Amino acid sequence: MGHAMHEWIYVGVVIALLCYVGADAWNIEKKLDISSVPANAQTIKVTGQQWFWTFEHENGTKEVGQLHLVKGQPYKFEITSRDVIHSFNMPDFAMMTDAVPGRVNSFWMIPDQSGQYLIQCREYCGMFHYNMRAKLFVEEPSATNSTTTAAAS
Amino acid sequence: MGLSSNLLVIGLIAVAAISFVNQSFAQSTSTPTYARVEIWALFYRLMVIAFVVGALVLGVIGYIVWRFRESHPKNRVPTREPLEGGHH
Repeated sequence: MGHAMHEWIYVGVVIALLCYVGADAWNIEKKLDISSVPANAQTIKVTGQQWFWTFEHENGTKEVGQLHLVKGQPYKFEITSRDVIHSFNMPDFAMMTDAVPGRVNSFWMIPDQSGQYLIQCREYCGMFHYNMRAKLFVEEPSATNSTTTAAAS
Repeated sequence: MGLSSNLLVIGLIAVAAISFVNQSFAQSTSTPTYARVEIWALFYRLMVIAFVVGALVLGVIGYIVWRFRESHPKNRVPTREPLEGGHH
């Protein structure tokens, strides 16, 4: 086996690994693309403005500065802005999308862990950008049902 | 077809096969897709590959430096005549 053989094996291994990186990332991107949103997903309209977040559920319920979701339920987020460019970020769920005035950006996700999490703006949007935060509450389905029942009665 | 082309084709086929198997598994299971899990799993896989490629490159550089150093026993005998100032 000459020198060239070693070199070609080395080049082949590195190229194969890099191709795998590309293919793998492509697969995941396709899997999480907005076109693969589950049929039973609920739409949440998210509006960013200096310097707070507003959320509107499918049933018309609006929330400001906090968002209540149900664990295991798929959600589609439609994100826009009223003034400048913001960025809607839920770091614990590895989700971030820009909120751009006059444009609706979307992503979908299924919260798989209950608890209280942070929502924050990740695009510098003015003086109080640092404080443009909201709370995300992911509740167990049973807890949500009992809360709804209690509220109804 | 040269050796390089063969290796390249083998590599590409391997990549395609792995991707296909991954996708088939993803479609056959009925478990929901959690973006958080998928993204972190992808991140860790790519980190492993990045470190493997890094180790390969570093290893090759190390080998070249070690093998072709002036004091290596195999480099005692010059491979060609000195260009100038040498004694015949």
